This record gives sequence, structure tokens and C-alpha cells, in this order.
Amino acid sequence: MEYRLKINEETLPVEVENDEEEKFTAVIGKNAFDVSYTTVNDHCIHLSVNGQGVNVYVSDQGDGKIIAIKGKSYFVQDADLLEQNKTRKKGPGSDLTEVTPPMPAVVIAVAVGEGDVVEKGQAVVIVSAMKMETTLVAPFNGTVQKVNVAEGDKVMPGDILVDIEKNEPEEEILS
Amino acid sequence: MFKKILVANRGEIALRVINTCRDMGVKTVAVYSDADKKAMHVLAADEAVYLGPSEPSQSYLHMDKIIDAAKTTGAEAIHPGYGFLAENSEFVEKCEQQSVVFIGPPAKVIKDLGDKITSRKIMVNSGVPVTPGLTSTEADADVMIVEAEKVGYPVLIKATAGGGGKGIRIVNSSEEMADACSAASREAVNAFGNGEIYLEKFFTKARHIEFQVLADKFGNTIHLLERECSVQRRHQKIIEETPSSVLTPALREEMGKAAVTAARASGYVNAGTVEFLLDENNNFYFLEVNTRLQVEHPVTEMITGVDLVRLQLEIAYGQELTISQEDIAGRGHSIECRIYAEDPENDFFPSPGTITFLKEPTGPGIRNDCGVYSGFEVPVDYDPILSKLIVHAQTREHAINKMIKALKSYIVLGVKTPIDFLIDVLQSEPFVQGEVFTDFIETHFSDWKPDMSDADLARIAFVVDEMCSNRKAKRVASAEDAIPTPWQTLGNWRQGG
Repeated sequence: MEYRLKINEETLPVEVENDEEEKFTAVIGKNAFDVSYTTVNDHCIHLSVNGQGVNVYVSDQGDGKIIAIKGKSYFVQDADLLEQNKTRKKGPGSDLTEVTPPMPAVVIAVAVGEGDVVEKGQAVVIVSAMKMETTLVAPFNGTVQKVNVAEGDKVMPGDILVDIEKNEPEEEILS
Repeated sequence: MFKKILVANRGEIALRVINTCRDMGVKTVAVYSDADKKAMHVLAADEAVYLGPSEPSQSYLHMDKIIDAAKTTGAEAIHPGYGFLAENSEFVEKCEQQSVVFIGPPAKVIKDLGDKITSRKIMVNSGVPVTPGLTSTEADADVMIVEAEKVGYPVLIKATAGGGGKGIRIVNSSEEMADACSAASREAVNAFGNGEIYLEKFFTKARHIEFQVLADKFGNTIHLLERECSVQRRHQKIIEETPSSVLTPALREEMGKAAVTAARASGYVNAGTVEFLLDENNNFYFLEVNTRLQVEHPVTEMITGVDLVRLQLEIAYGQELTISQEDIAGRGHSIECRIYAEDPENDFFPSPGTITFLKEPTGPGIRNDCGVYSGFEVPVDYDPILSKLIVHAQTREHAINKMIKALKSYIVLGVKTPIDFLIDVLQSEPFVQGEVFTDFIETHFSDWKPDMSDADLARIAFVVDEMCSNRKAKRVASAEDAIPTPWQTLGNWRQGG
């Protein structure tokens, strides 16, 4: 069995061999690891890797797993699953790009109106979360098509606060 | 002593106060908002009163609702914790009018010291050195520019009502002044309901050293040594320790005396903190007095052995301090790390969400003042502090090692935390050498990236978890297919007897 696992931007294949009851060999790149494991509970696994014991803690977040090892956290994603989801989500209208908060937040101010011409980097919406203000900026030069929020609205990551249409598509250099 | 008090706060500090009340046999009343129906302080208190919507102005900042809650439940006093109403003189006045004891200083002291301008004037008059800058508020950015040129850039634009790193901007040149003033002012309006700002010199190479003070109603005022809080991000402390590695006994005594002078000059009663900046030449300047229990008070408790919350209650009840300056001695070294729901890789942005798993570190000399649990959803509406991890050991070196060990066994899953960042800071050469200034993070860790040395292990763990959950899913599926047991077929069968 082979997994392709992504951490940050690095995707590496993990080959699983000799899968037995709570024991297997994992091959990552040129390295082989003898792994045995005991599941302590839903979130804790005791691993023995090449004879060295370590407790790892896992939380499945749906789009990947948070793995904590000795005070360090890794977000590990299944690259094959990610690709499937990506092709499913991609659709038309990719000229519209999103102005979306990085975290659940409350809208403090909307700095633009429909029809406004905005420059890349121009402030469009100011949101606040946990008493900290964040300015969301236009991702490129364009025209505001629609403002979807008002002051005081609660917004979530993925919510599109302002629709901006690119004015001039950047010319691609064809080789 | 009080029979029952109300704790007008949430999270770890509410729990901290409730803990001491339990020790003292004082009953506690918690208050909560919509977002906190299942918060730990609500579960821990003897009684809990619902205040209203999550929005702070409708709940934890709503003075009348809180005083009503105290009246209805028969609580004789209110402990404000830190933040929210802790430094709100209007609230203290209302408490006084309603004959509810406020566990903290009198309204006038909070008003005088909470106004940075008035407090600067008090200190100047009593001979405590202050940082160069304005001694009046200013709304005009152009006037600020003139002042900035007098004291020299960089300068700080600060909310006169400020605190906790909110409503502060650093200004490096005149072009930045107008934006900084309006941003600081707006943030201050949101956080404190007062947008007035002033200017003071910003020391790029300075240490933040503060002294804990205690004063009773009989004129006894003492200090409980210093806390060094130089490691900050976004003007908010993240690592605090005591003793400071730079104070000589003579300088400690001098600063301690200045702190007591500052407290006396302002008519201080109860627990407070006098903050100083210490420049590279060991000159110290008064910054402000925090008229509340500080977030980082536990390190003082660790080395002095006192319970500051207990003393706060005793002083508020009208008792005389039972300890004198001579009784105060520091033993060993203590460090605190603040664990926030935030992303150190992304400029310490708040990271709200559900804590899917939590395992607190334990062991000799380890204390974790924690306000959350596995399954708790960290609300977006409040400060994202989850807990404070505190260690106590014989020497600074031992304390650092103990803290690193504790952080490595502290598991918080579901929200981002600075745990890995803190480990790297504690292990870094400048921190180990005690070379800590307020620009520490910007200087040494501005482009910090998490260490990836255990990435292979993380991938292996992923595979193991997949194998386990597949097996679990299979087990569940096969159980559903199996022949029903009598437990499933008997229906509303009940055991007799």
C-alpha cells in the first residue's frame, strides 16, 4: 500500500510493507522504518520506530490530521484525496477572486462600494477577531462587483465578503 | 471573611480565583454569556448567572447585569480578574453605590492610574522617573509629529486608557503618524470605550521589568519583587520570569522602593503592578501601574510562596497585611509561558476553533492555570488565552529545562498554539544567556518556521491512524450486520426489583 502525504508544501510517498497485526515497515524516500504501535486512545498512539518509543497525538480534522510529537505539530494531508477534492471544486468564474477572512471574525468597516475601482493591496474590509483588527485587501486590480457584508456581520473563512472582478487579465507569456 | 463572592470574568483567570476561594471556604458565583454556556468557569463555580449575548458589551462588560447578579445571589464582593471591568472606575463606583465590595483598588485610584497622563503627573510629582513624552492627550497628528521630533523617533502612540497591548502603535517617521493615530484610537474605542491617545518615546533596546505591590487599608505598602516580561509579541507578553537576570540586589532595592513610592503616591490599596522600562544603561523609567491582578502573577507566587488572590480578598475584607517587607524573599526561579490559541507562523493570528484533545503537563514544580478542556470551542469573541504554564525550580537553567520538558508534554489539538515556538525561544542562545529585550521576537524570531525534523514520524503516525480508523470503521460496520442481541430486541425492557 502506498500513501502520498503532504506536510506544508512537501509531498512524499510512504510505502507500507509487511503489514501485520500492529506492525509494519514504512519506506519514505530512501529510509525504511520498522514500526510497531499501540493505540492508547482515540487521540494517542504509542509508536515504536526502529526500536525508539514515542507518544504521538492525532486529531483528524477532515481535510487532514494534526499530529503532535514532542511539542511540535504537523498538519499531514493525503495528497491523493486533496487532488480529488480540488478537481471537484474547480469550476467556471475563476476571474472572481475571494476576499475572505483568515478566521471567524466580525466586520468592523467596509471600505469600498459596488462599482469602485480598486488597486491590488487596497484595503477593502476591516475585520476583528479576538479584539485584533485585520485589514483584508484586494488581491489584484479590479472592479468591485458586489459587497456581501455590512458592519457588524459575523463572517467565517470561506465567506466571500466582496466580489472583485479583475480588470485586465495579466498577459501570459507564451513560450 | 466573605461568605460568597462573584467572579466577573471567564477562562483561566476565573478558574484561578475560584480555586483560592475553594481553599478559603468562600462560595463562588460565575457569570457567563451565550458563547460560554459550557465554559469551565461555569462548570467549576458553586452558582452561575447567565448575562446575555456573547458580545462583551452585552455580557462581561455589562456593569448593571453583573451587579444585579451579585445582588440576586447574595454575593458580598466582586473579583474582576484581569481585562473586562478590572480597571473600570465607573464599575467600581457602581459597586460602591450598591454596597458590593470591589476586590481591587478604590475608584479614584483606578481612574487616576488608568489615565496614563494623570499617572505620569503623579509619578513626576513624587520623584519617580518617567519615560520622555507628552503629559497631555493629543488628537492632532500634526502636533504628535512635532512632539515626536522633540523626543526622537521611534515613538509610541498609546491609548491613555490602554493596557494589554491594545491601542498601541509604533511610529518610525512622520508619514506613519496619521494612520497610527487613527488605528490606535479606533482600537482603543473598541477595547476600552475611550479613544484618547498620547505619545511617549519608544526604547528599541529595553527590558520590561515590573514590581508586584500590595497595600492594605492601614497604610502598609510592600513590594513582592520583580517580574521580567521582556519577551513580547504584538506588545503582549508571552514569557515572564522572576527573578530578572539583570537586576543586582542594589538595583532591585532601588526599583522596589520606587514601586512602593509610586503605590503610596497614588493612594493604592490591594494588589497592583508597577511597570518599568530598564534601558541598556540600567536606567529605569516608570511606565504605568496596572490596577489589577496581572496575568503573570503566578511566577511571583511561586518564588515568594504567597497566594495573591487570598491576600486580595483579605485586603478587600478590611484585614491588615500579615506580612511585612522583611518577610518577602524569593526562592528559586520561576517562568511562565502563555498558551494562546494563535498561529506563531502567521504573525500570531488568533486561531479559534474546537479543542479536540487536551493533555496538560504534570510533575514536580509544574503548574498549569488552564481555562479550557477537550471538546471546548474557543470563542472568537474574547481574548484567545487558553492557559498559563508555570514552572518553579532552583535555578534559571533548571527552570528553563523544566519548562521545555513541560511544553513538550503539553498536547493541545484542534487550535494552533505557540507551544513549538516557545520551545525554540527557550532553547535559543540569547534567551539562555538572559539577553532579552522587548524587541526579542522581532530580532531573533521574526521569520521563525517550525522545525520539521520529525516529519517522517508524523507521516508514519498518519498511516497508523488511518489503519486504526479503518479497522474501527470495519468493526462498527460488522457489528451492525451482526445478529441483533437481546439488548437490541427487547425494547422497553426494564430490570425488575
